Amino acid sequence: MKTIALYSIKGGVGKTATAVNLSYLSSLFSPPTLICDLDPQGASSFYFRITASKKYNSDKFLKGNKKIYRNIKATDFENLDLLPSDISYRNLDIELAEEKKPLKKLKKNLEELGEEYRYVFFDCAPNLTLLSESIFAAADVIMVPLIPTTLSIRTYIQLTDFFKDNKLDSSKIRPFFTMVEKQKKMHRDIIEEFRNAPDFFTQTIPYNSEVEKMGIYRAPLNAVLPGSLASKAYKNLWEELRSHLEKSR
Amino acid sequence: MHTTHKMLFIKLNQAASREWLPENIFPPGLQLKTLSSWKERREFYDTFEWQAFEKGFVIVKKKKKLFLADLNSGHETFSLSLPGNPSSFFSDTLPSGDLKNALSSCTEIRAFIKLCSIDVIIHSYRILDDNEKTIATLTSESLYLADKEQPEPFIHLFSLLPFKGYEDEMKLIQKALSDDVGTVLDFRELFLLIMNAAGRNIHDYSSKIRLDLDADAPIYESARQLLQFTFSIMRANESGIKKNIDSEFLHDYRVAIRRTRSILKQLKGVFDSEETAYYLNLFRDLGKRTNELRDMDVYLLKQATYFHYLPSTLQPSLKLFFTDIAASRRRLHKQFCSYLESTAYQSFLEEWDAFANRLSIPDPERSPNATLFTKSIGVESIKKAWKKVVRHGRQISRETTDTELHALRIDCKKLRYLLEFFSSIFPQKTTLPVIRQLKELQDNLGDFVDFSVQHHFLQERLLSIPPGKEQNVLAASIGGLMATLFQKQEETRSKFHKTFRSFDHEETSQLFHDLLSTPK
Repeated sequence: MKTIALYSIKGGVGKTATAVNLSYLSSLFSPPTLICDLDPQGASSFYFRITASKKYNSDKFLKGNKKIYRNIKATDFENLDLLPSDISYRNLDIELAEEKKPLKKLKKNLEELGEEYRYVFFDCAPNLTLLSESIFAAADVIMVPLIPTTLSIRTYIQLTDFFKDNKLDSSKIRPFFTMVEKQKKMHRDIIEEFRNAPDFFTQTIPYNSEVEKMGIYRAPLNAVLPGSLASKAYKNLWEELRSHLEKSR
Repeated sequence: MHTTHKMLFIKLNQAASREWLPENIFPPGLQLKTLSSWKERREFYDTFEWQAFEKGFVIVKKKKKLFLADLNSGHETFSLSLPGNPSSFFSDTLPSGDLKNALSSCTEIRAFIKLCSIDVIIHSYRILDDNEKTIATLTSESLYLADKEQPEPFIHLFSLLPFKGYEDEMKLIQKALSDDVGTVLDFRELFLLIMNAAGRNIHDYSSKIRLDLDADAPIYESARQLLQFTFSIMRANESGIKKNIDSEFLHDYRVAIRRTRSILKQLKGVFDSEETAYYLNLFRDLGKRTNELRDMDVYLLKQATYFHYLPSTLQPSLKLFFTDIAASRRRLHKQFCSYLESTAYQSFLEEWDAFANRLSIPDPERSPNATLFTKSIGVESIKKAWKKVVRHGRQISRETTDTELHALRIDCKKLRYLLEFFSSIFPQKTTLPVIRQLKELQDNLGDFVDFSVQHHFLQERLLSIPPGKEQNVLAASIGGLMATLFQKQEETRSKFHKTFRSFDHEETSQLFHDLLSTPK
């Protein structure tokens, strides 16, 4: 099992869209795949039209393995399942703090899923909390979507500083640019600046109105409009991610 | 969707029309979305002995592909493309892969025979919740027996494939459907229903003796039951022999003949001796008619092994040898089939049928033991046959000659048959250990005799080869085979005394005493 976190301190950077499309592509080419919606706003659950069972909440999530397993739901796509988010996740941090080893909790809770899934994607909440740290420990790769703006780059630097200060494995962090508008000079310049940065994925995701319409289709863009520019970009990004994961095996 | 859940089938009541859709009885918030409609033919396969079913598999061909489904869940685990429309096939003719392996694990020598063809008219739907999320797929299916002139469906059903994580909704749907429109079936029940409609009975054939003899009944009644059973096995295999489906049909047919002879011969004084001699003669002749054909079958089954015995330089000429064997087999098969069709055979069948089913008590003068208890004859005959094996086995010299081993093999076979005939009058826990002990000895002797027979056959073949360059290579490869077989034969010969000692042992003797003291 390989685990991939889609993470950003900042919201609205195309994190969920990436998680949804990459997990869909993974289910096509390296099945089976699970996507865990860890954001209490539940955007990826929404994209797949899934709501958690009434009985499901953060308690169950913290109990791990079997409790989690029972709440996984099939998406409409073969070989792709989803663990829906619940509004109670907003308290996960407080609850996690009461656990004995909060940082190792997530990894431990998901252990048994390895028998079932080849790839697990985490769609994370846009904040830096104990839960985020637990995710950092559990993930093999932390994909960080960045809009090519100075503000966005600043959040990335904050993240790498945080890793350094807390002695975390910063080699897991793999940024990539999203919502790229080639017509904007600042976008072009920033991308150019990071062109040769070794930890960056080279594929960028263009700003595309079709991506925003995913909220209307409520399905992965790659499933509805596989020929669109953004879909092709996600496809290339997935190939890059896959070869990165295979190399690191 | 990833994990496939158990499929669920709902057999519709007659009242529910085939166009009828369950939407109106769904719990609120659920709706149906029509996907497509199509017709498909499903062809089911299994061996004559239902070996796939026995292993929990259902083999079905549809849309030019062969599928293996799990009998419990209905989940299709493996598939491969299978063009054409074979009436039967062997697992080793399939392309390598999981499906072939699964079928080979059932059997490699029996053919998978087409059991029936079913036409299915299918309408497929998705069940959506209030988010328009698919929570299950539903297909409405009408099943017809194919090739009927005026087709009428024998069953209408819904099959429901729930998506993972929607178990609660599914319970509601299932309840609504089963309350109002039909009965819930699992895949196994559905399979049995289809087989039943097609006139196929699961486990309608097994060559194992599965009779329940009455230990206190007079022996002539039990013996007749046994004869009727072996006769039914012969009859059941005739069609498969004629259709040339696989070699096991003839094999089982021959075993039934041998068992019949064994019953007539070993249960002395049970039937009229004159009649017994008459029928023994007929069955011996019938058996003889099949000997050569069976030999050819055995060589063809051993083909791969034989090639394996030889270096690659000698293998090509062996092809010639097997081409000849196959040609002889064709000729012998044709010959035997025409005998099966002959009036002579038909009248033999009728005559024997009348004898095996005769109800009257045999004349006590001519068959003095007929009215003895089944258990006393069972115990006595087994005891006698066992003692004979022990006595003859002990007499076998250090040289362990072919003749000695051949004879002992026959003694063992007689004992084995008696144990099988009467197994139902003893507790199973006493018969099984005895049979296990005997089997080890039989395996040793069986191997020995097989090698010896093959060796002789090859020798005769060798002597009949005319001179010539090509023939020289053939002679060399036959010589190679003979050398290998000889070695193997000597190996089994050298193991005989050890194997026999473990049979002729206090423990085995205790097992026989336990057995013979416990008839029901």
